[in-house]
Order: sequence, then C-alpha cells, then structure tokens
Amino acid sequence: MMIFKKSIPRRTFLRGAGVTLGLPLLDAMFPVFAAANTTAKSPLRVSYFYGPNGRIMNRWTPKVAGAGFELTPTLKPLAAFRDRMLVLSGLNIKAADARPGEGGAGHGRACGAFLTGIHPKPGGALGISVDQVLAKEFGKHTQLASLELAMDPNDTVGGNDGSYRAAYTKTISWRSGATPLPTEDNPRKVFERLIGESGSTDPAVRLDHIQTRRSILDFVIQDVARVSREIGPGDRAKFTEYLDAVRDIERRIQLAEEQSARELPEMDRPAGVPATYSEHAKLMFDLNMLAFQGDMTRVTTFMYGREGGDRPYREIGIGDGHHSLSHHAGNPEAIALCAQIDAFHSTLFAYFLERLQATPDGEGSLFDHSIIVYSSGLNDGNAHTHYGVPTLLTGGAMGKIQGGRHLQYPGLPLSNLHLTVLDMAGIAAEEYVNNEDSDATEKLDVISI
Amino acid sequence: MMSRSVLSYIGVMLLGSVFLHAAVQQLSSPAPSSPHRAVLNRYCVTCHNEKLKTADLILSNLNIEDVGSETDVWEKVVRKLRAGAMPPLGLPRPDQATYDSFATYLETELDRAAASPDPGRTPAVHRLNRAEYTNAIRDLLAVDIDGASLLPADDSGLEFDNMADVLSVSPLLMETYMSVAGKVRSLALGDTDLGATTDIYKVPERFIQDDRMDEDLPFGSRGGIAVRHPFPVDGEYVIRIRLVRSGDGYIRGIRGDRHQLDVRLNGARLKLFTIGGVNLGPSGPLYPRNGTFYRGDAKQIEYEFNADENFEVHFPAKAGTQLVQVTFLKQTSAPDGILLPPPMYPDIVDFKGGDPALASITIRGPFETIGPGETPSRHRIFLCNPTAPAEEEACATKILSLLARRAYRQPVTNEHVQPLLHLYRTARSRKNFEAAIGTALQAILVSPEFLFRIERDPPNVASNTAYSISDVALASRLSFFLWSSIPDDELLDLAEKGKLSDPVVLQQQVSRMVADSRSKALVNNFAGQWLYLRNMRDVSPDPELFPDFDDELREAMQKETELFFESMLREDRSVLDLLMADYTFVNERLARHYEIPNVYGSRLRQVTLTDEARKGLLGQGSILTLTSKARRTSPVLRGKWVLEQLLGLPPPPPPPNVPLLEEQESKGGKPVSVRQMMEQHRQNPTCASCHKIMDPIGLALENFNAVGQWRTVEANVPVDASGVFYDGSEFQNVVEFRQVLLNHPERFVYTVAEKLLTYALGREIHYYDAPAVRKIVREAALNDYRWSALITSIARSTPFQMRRSQEQ
Repeated sequence: MMIFKKSIPRRTFLRGAGVTLGLPLLDAMFPVFAAANTTAKSPLRVSYFYGPNGRIMNRWTPKVAGAGFELTPTLKPLAAFRDRMLVLSGLNIKAADARPGEGGAGHGRACGAFLTGIHPKPGGALGISVDQVLAKEFGKHTQLASLELAMDPNDTVGGNDGSYRAAYTKTISWRSGATPLPTEDNPRKVFERLIGESGSTDPAVRLDHIQTRRSILDFVIQDVARVSREIGPGDRAKFTEYLDAVRDIERRIQLAEEQSARELPEMDRPAGVPATYSEHAKLMFDLNMLAFQGDMTRVTTFMYGREGGDRPYREIGIGDGHHSLSHHAGNPEAIALCAQIDAFHSTLFAYFLERLQATPDGEGSLFDHSIIVYSSGLNDGNAHTHYGVPTLLTGGAMGKIQGGRHLQYPGLPLSNLHLTVLDMAGIAAEEYVNNEDSDATEKLDVISI
Repeated sequence: MMSRSVLSYIGVMLLGSVFLHAAVQQLSSPAPSSPHRAVLNRYCVTCHNEKLKTADLILSNLNIEDVGSETDVWEKVVRKLRAGAMPPLGLPRPDQATYDSFATYLETELDRAAASPDPGRTPAVHRLNRAEYTNAIRDLLAVDIDGASLLPADDSGLEFDNMADVLSVSPLLMETYMSVAGKVRSLALGDTDLGATTDIYKVPERFIQDDRMDEDLPFGSRGGIAVRHPFPVDGEYVIRIRLVRSGDGYIRGIRGDRHQLDVRLNGARLKLFTIGGVNLGPSGPLYPRNGTFYRGDAKQIEYEFNADENFEVHFPAKAGTQLVQVTFLKQTSAPDGILLPPPMYPDIVDFKGGDPALASITIRGPFETIGPGETPSRHRIFLCNPTAPAEEEACATKILSLLARRAYRQPVTNEHVQPLLHLYRTARSRKNFEAAIGTALQAILVSPEFLFRIERDPPNVASNTAYSISDVALASRLSFFLWSSIPDDELLDLAEKGKLSDPVVLQQQVSRMVADSRSKALVNNFAGQWLYLRNMRDVSPDPELFPDFDDELREAMQKETELFFESMLREDRSVLDLLMADYTFVNERLARHYEIPNVYGSRLRQVTLTDEARKGLLGQGSILTLTSKARRTSPVLRGKWVLEQLLGLPPPPPPPNVPLLEEQESKGGKPVSVRQMMEQHRQNPTCASCHKIMDPIGLALENFNAVGQWRTVEANVPVDASGVFYDGSEFQNVVEFRQVLLNHPERFVYTVAEKLLTYALGREIHYYDAPAVRKIVREAALNDYRWSALITSIARSTPFQMRRSQEQ
C-alpha cells in the first residue's frame, strides 16, 4: 500500500493549487518531496513479457544457483543486466493442470493461467490477471489503465485451442474473468491511442470537443439505465461492463483535460507494421517507453507471439514456424532453431532494458522505477509442460529487487511471484487471490534480500 | 457451456482394441427387451459401460425405450452414428440396414421428444461486431468506413466472431466507438470546420506491378492502385505519390525507358507524369553501404533517389466517396520477352531495375473547404432544412426520430427521442443547427440501442418458457444473419405491421435479401470464417521453397474461393456443389499455378474444370495452403480441417503432456516423405486413436503441395494418396476420397446447416437444437439441398423464430 498511498497527496496538492502542471515541472517539485520523503518520487511501472511455445530449457537455465550463476546461451544477450536481474527457476503454472476430462489444450490453459493464476475451465470464466489488479490502482493516475501490446494480429480465425476460445492464446490480460483485453500489434494504432487523434490544437476547439464528449457520455449513462430496466437482472452483466467502460472514458477525459499541458517526448507517428520482426518489436518497445515516459500508463504487457503461434523467423534464417519447431520430438536441428529464436527474443528484450536504463526518470532511470517480469506459459513446448517456466525478474523496483542471482523455487506457483510484485507495488492482493480456482499461496521470499 | 461438451464429445475419440477384452468379460447390462436394446448391448455397451466409461459415455444403464428422458446423451450417440464414426474402425458393426434402422429409431424418438421444443436462449445483449458495425454505418448513413483499421478485432468463439457470449466491451473498444462516432459524424454531415487529414493507401509490397491490377483501373494500365476515398466536404485536396524504392533508397526502374504515370479521379485524368529515361551519368552502387570505393554520378543518383519528389496533384473534389486511380500506362510497344518466374522477395527489395512501381498514395485535405456538398449521406439525414428558427425544433425531431428508428432497429418512442433532443438543444445553444444534429447523431452511434442487439422477454411471459420473438426482433435476426447489418426500411415496415412472421412474407423477404448485394456478407463473414479463408492473409509459405507464392497469388486464391462460394449463393446451387462443382474462378496467375491453359489477365473469371482432382473446395489453393505448414503439407491440419469444417467432428485436442510428434524433416540426411513422417507418428497408441482417423483424410490430399500445386512425387517417393476413411470406405486418391464424402451427402449438409445456424443465432448450438437442425436438413433435402432452401429453413426454424425466457 505504501507507494499508492503516498502518491495521492501529490495529486491532491496539484488540484488544491488550482493549476495544471505539465510533466516536466514535476522534476522541479522533487526537492519539496525529497524533504518529506525520499522514496515517493517517480511512479512505479510494471511490464510483463510473454514468450510463446516454451523455451529450450537447457540453454536457458543456469547450472549454478545463487550469485555465481553463469550466463547460458539464451541469457547471454542480457549480459549487461546480469547483476540487475533475477533468474527464477522452478516456478509452476499449477492452475493450468488439466482436470479430469479436460484433455489437451496445453497452450490455451497455460496462457490463460499465466497472469491470472486461475484454472481455466473449458467454456467457463477465468479471473482478473495480475497486471489488471495493478492497472486498477495505478490507472487512477494515468490516461490509460494499461496497454496490451503484441506482435501477432488479434483477428485470425481458428485460433481456438480445444475447448478454449482464441482469447486464451491471444492475450494474457484479463480485466475480469469474462473480459479478455484485446492486444494491439499495429504501432500506428498504439500511437494514436496514446497521443489521441491528431485533432486541432486550438484550445477552444478542444474544449468544445471535451464538452460534446461529456454530454454524450451523460446521455449514454441514462440510456443504459433505461435499457437495463427492460431486461432481466441476469442479462445486465454485459451492460455493467459497458458502463464501466463508459466511466473509464469519463475519467480519461478528465485526466486529458488536466494533463493537456504535458510535454511528450518526440516521436513520429508510425506508419504501420514494419517489415521485419525486430523492427516491429523495437517500435513496440519504443511506444511502451513513450507511454511510460509520458506517464500515460504504468502497466504494460507484451507478447512475442500468440501462444501456439506458428510464426517463421525468416529474418534470422528460420523458415519453419515456431510452434512446429517447438514440437521437435528431440530432433537436435529443430531444438537448435528454437534456441536461436529464444536468444533472438532475449536480444530484443535487452534493447527494451537498455532503453529503460537510458531514460532518465526523476532521480534515476525508468529502469530503476520498473518491475519487469519476463516469462512464458510453457517450459517445454514439445510436451506442453507448464512446470518450471523460464522466468526473469528485473528492473530496479524502487530498490526492492536485489539482482544478480539465480533463485530456485521448485514446486511453487508462478502466481506467487505475482503476489510478490503486488507486494512490491504496495497493492492489496485480496482481489487477486480471492478465487477458489487460484493457485497462489504466498509471496516468494528472498527476492529483495 | 453445454454444447461445448457436446461438440467435444463428437471428437472421434476411439480407444485402441487393447481395452476391449476386459470390457467384454465384465459386461453387465439389462437383458435385451427390444431389438434396439440388443443392438446397443452388442455394439455399443462393450466400451460405453460403467466399468470402462469410454469417452465418459455410459450407455449400459440408459433406457432405450425412453429416449426422451436422456436426450442430451442420445444426441451424442446419434451424431456419431450419422457420421458413420461408431463403432470405430476394426470393431464389429451391424449390417447397414440394422445400423440405419437403429439410428432412425433414435432420431425419430428424439424428434418426437422435441414436440414441445426448446428454442434455446440467445443472449439478451449482443454487441455488433466489427463487420456489423461497419455495415450498419454504411446502411444507416451511406458512409463507408474501413472498420478493420478503425476498430479493434473481435474475439471469436466457435470460429465465428459474432457470438454474443464472447463479444465484450473493453474500455479500449468504448474509447474507439467514441472516436469513430466523431469521424463518422464528420463524414456524414460534411463538417466544414474539419481540418485537413491524411490517409495513406499502400500497394502491398509483394505485388508485382506488371499488369492491370484491379477492375477499377483503366484497361491498358500497369500496376498502381484504385481506391474509393471518402472526401468529407467539397474542397481542395492533394494526392502525393511515392514510387517503390530498393532497400538502398533508389527508385526502382527509372534508368531504363520513360514511363507515364496516370492520375485520375472517377476516370477523368487529373495529371500525367513522366518519369524515367533520364541518363545523366553512371548510377550509384547497388549497396552504397558496403561499396565505398565507387560512387557514381551525383546528379544521376540524386535523380534516382528523388525523382518522385514533386509528384503531387492538387485538385478540387466533391464531397462523398470518389474513385481515385493512380497507375502507369502500359508500354504497348515493348516486345514480349520470355516469361520469367516472378522475382523472390529479397530480390524485389534489392533490385533497382525493372519497371517503376507505385508504393503508396497519400490523400490529404480538405484545404479550401467550399461547402458540405451534396452527398447521399446528407440527403439521407437532412429530411428538412429549417429556414427560420421556429422550424428548427420540429425538423430536428423529424430527423432524429428517423435516424433513431433505423439505428435502433425498432419503432421509436418519446423515451428514445427526448434524450436526443435534449442533447441537440444543449448543443444548439453553442453551435449551428447542423452541428447540433451532429452531436445527437454522435450520441446515437454510441447508444446501447445501436451498439447492441437487445432481445427483451415479453412483459407477461412466464419464466423459462418458449415464446415467439416479435416481428421487430425477427427483422434484426434476419438482417444480421444475411447482411451482417441493420434491417432496411422495407423489412422494418413489414415487421412493424406484424407481417414479417407470415411464412409467405418471410420467404419473399429471405429471397429478396439473398439476392441483394448486401448478402455478400455471408461470403466474407460466414464462409470467410467457416472455411478459415480469412487466414489467407497470414499464411506464409517459405519463399525459398515456394518462390512463386507472392501477394497476387495469395489474393487470387482467396478471391477464387470467395467468388466460388458467392456463385453458389447467387445461382442457388446445391450445397454439395461446394465439394464437386465442375467450375471455379481463376486469373492468369492462378491458372498458371493450376496448370490451366489459355487464361490471360488479372481478372478472375469462371472456367470449367476438366481435371477431376481440382473440383470443389478440396482442390482450391486457398484451402490447401491455409492447412499447410510453411515448408510442407500437414495431413494433420488438413485432416482436422475436413473433420471439423466439413464433417462436424472436431478431433479432441491431444492429451496433456504428449508431444504432437511431428517434424522429422530428415533422418540421417535422407528426406522423409510426409506420409513416412505420419506413419512414425501413428506408432504411439495414444496418438493413433485419433490420428488414424485424421491422417488418412489429410494424406488423401497429398497430391497437392503446401501451396496447392499438383505433384506426383514428394521427397523422391511417388505420392501415395490412398487410405481408409473412418467409416471403412477405401479410396485411392483425392477424387475417390471426395466421392466417399459425397456418398453420405447428409453428413456434410448437416455440418453446413449447423455452422450456418450457429452463425445465424450468434450462439452455440446445444443438444436440444439437434431436432431443429435435422429438420432443416430434411427440408433442404426436398429441394436438392439448395442454398435458398437451407437459408429459408433456418429462418423458419424454432431456434431462429423463438426464444426461451429467462429463468427466475
């Protein structure tokens, strides 16, 4: 709760002063806060990275545990961050265990349970994912509660995995058990979402815009109330969802008004999806950076690919699809190619971390004020095992992560790491664990020691 | 949720005979009291008993004399029987007459039990999906928007993206609805305060622009693009043209001949640019990054880098959607060379020779707004134009009432119109009349009545009771089914008068709607998803192995199947023709791919097929490519596709923690044929239970490679496409395999009917819908399974006409 509570007075102060302050001015205010409390400066940001189809574990897991761990081939691209990251071994996605009669669907269940820690029942609801628990709190201060980024388009058909509809493999973010959040792969759309449609900069026109939107939202809220009366209580759930979404916009309009003077880092509007995977990924990371830097959101998720996706990586000379290769059946050539993809993902991740580190943020860098979880729903893509998923925890986390170690947690659920993150963010975990199908037990220890 | 399990049990889960000995010995079921009981005991209960519980199905303790009390279980049984999937291959089966009479008995009993039918309950709140929203905007306001680029993709359930249960509303979506409503309002009204906006249209990178590209481009043109661009107001606009550049930044193909670039608006030339044929000195090096030793002539390089810099046309345009065409004039005097295979992608990137090609056009404007113009949209909205302030309120009421009626798809009351008028009045105090109408219009477009299809139980109906839906609700069901859009005035008028539910009127309306061009939605949305055609965009055959596969071929393949499906609807053919019609649609590119002679040009046209193997969907490049892997065919994917999409028997997913056992490209350096790979994989009994069903189906298509080209040899082994279907039928090749499917037409038609009903209702099909599906198939059979019969039967079916009220 710490950080959240401390950030409230800042906003109260801003409103009380009756002025709208742009972001750059916040830096000037630090001394004021520094006198009061040296930790409540920049906000905490959290990102979750998801790699599909498991990893080649013997190229990933260091043999040595503790501080003396070695950089394995897949971790080597992250050498510069060796002392600032934790390699976490042995964490399981227990919730993804198939229950009697469920069979198959190794991809959908693992991906669905990845951030929710909840057992996905065929055709049934899931629960809120940890990024969305964070987003609910952090989102009170930002235009966007969260941003869901991905490399695969969200609108292919036939992506169902057994009894699980396509959403279970296309996103890791669930606002509620029934509302998966669609991912976006088009950099241009992400950019427009962050910056807004390039409308007029004339304050009068903008104000008129805001007033019109406000009046329309009022109209919608009344309309929903009227229609809700006409349908049964059991049918109102979808309307509640709709109304929540409308309220979310109301709140954003208000924030947009307050923050209109904010200066944003320079970035051109991207034209669309770049030709190569690495250019595309880097552009998505740049957008993530833009969102963090401008404090437009504090929570992001990123998927290297749809779980079970069969993307070839021609850019690095791999013509077969990743999913096909991951079912290598022990074939050393296929294994080597998968490992090459894993290392390629690590290289791109290193770019993201470098950018975080190079971006000043208050007294420190964005890296210092971030928690980044880098993991996968599967351990071995060949056998669809979701035990011992390859996991990294990095970022400075406001000094709460002591990196440079390889920690082993055999038998513990990945959702315990999610509890750890919630704890570091000072956010209550009740909503997250309060589900009979949750596999979380307690937060992981020794991460900050 | 129920039907999910129904569907998954249909999975052809068969147990190996390993378990059977034990089963027979431990058998204990009621003594046969009827011949049907005897059949059940002898052929079914051996596996499906309380001890073995094969596939979680226990038949030993069911009373076959009282089928009506366990309809959910018996529907599963009938489904397997009608598919010919049970008992599994290798186990004893009764003779055909006994088999059929047993299945018929069960069906008759089940249908009798459905005398007081359960119509199911479509969810009360059903959000419009992206395609429906786009079409609704078009039909409501005569505004064309590109929904795919404006709105986020919808989640899909059961392969369709119009399933009410999964169409949720995220904040992102709501936000998008708000902003799209603003854009639509500007386009519809012709917002004269609108600043200039920019739209970029790109020619797909892998298009080889060597011929006429589009039906909308003039004859004698080469490459380029035709776009229907919505101009928001009468005003000045600018088109900027960019040509294709090599990876190093050279404009391609401008060192050779002169070329002429033709820019037209609605067919009338705006400007003719000349480019190329300039030779000021030696060109620059191909890889300037690497070759620092050689520089080339600075002026020539400057030209080759920037020759299109001033390719801009300023022109006035009228408001509304107009056709913009940018293309090269085809060099008529160029001698015909040897036909070379199209260059591979890396070559295109590095190449700076060849002919110049269009990369993109950018349309920006308006700059000098002249006025809102006369557009179909304004015509539709402004039914009256108040000339005095006193007339305004009445006119606004008229305009908004009519818009609301169409947008909300129901008769509107004061309750609907007053809040809109309130918005209008508030806005009118700050803005002019038209802008105030615009605000109310924007509100209509985000109102729940527009964004959701809402089905309300009648006020006095008891809970959990079947009732006939209102004519107004029926109008929406029909229009969203056949048009993926809102009802038109004719449909709404009939509904409001209570005439639509009249069977004769209904039949007329269905015919009218299928004949209407809006029924193209069935091709894009139903067939596009049912057949997985939408995934053609994302297939990615390895360019090393399939250098011929480029974006033109990709597009031609997709269009082939779309045109094929559309012709079935338009000509009201039998559903079975999808599998066996003797014609298809090809252009030169695709014809070459299929080795069909004498087809020239880029337009797809109907051709009669003489090659038996090519007939029907199973011979079409689209289906064959999208069920293949990047580097080879996949009998598993193909088999699964046939089972799921054509036979309605989705195989269960592989059991947990068992590898899919695939991908052994080579052993000891020797290429392994796909068939050999599959055989290795059926040695594992756990896998074999399903793969012995899936794989032979996929292997029947082995004569078609991963991009659908015919072949007789694969991995140095002659292709063997023979196999045994799960009902025991044997086949030697794809033609005989198709005949195996056609020997039981009702299996395929049942699947089509079920998929179409799923799509029509936007909900999952449950076991209690099966009597209705059987009835649809029976009625269609009387009319040779014609599409009109199938669609009409669906429109008349219980689940489509009725609904179950909410449980208390």
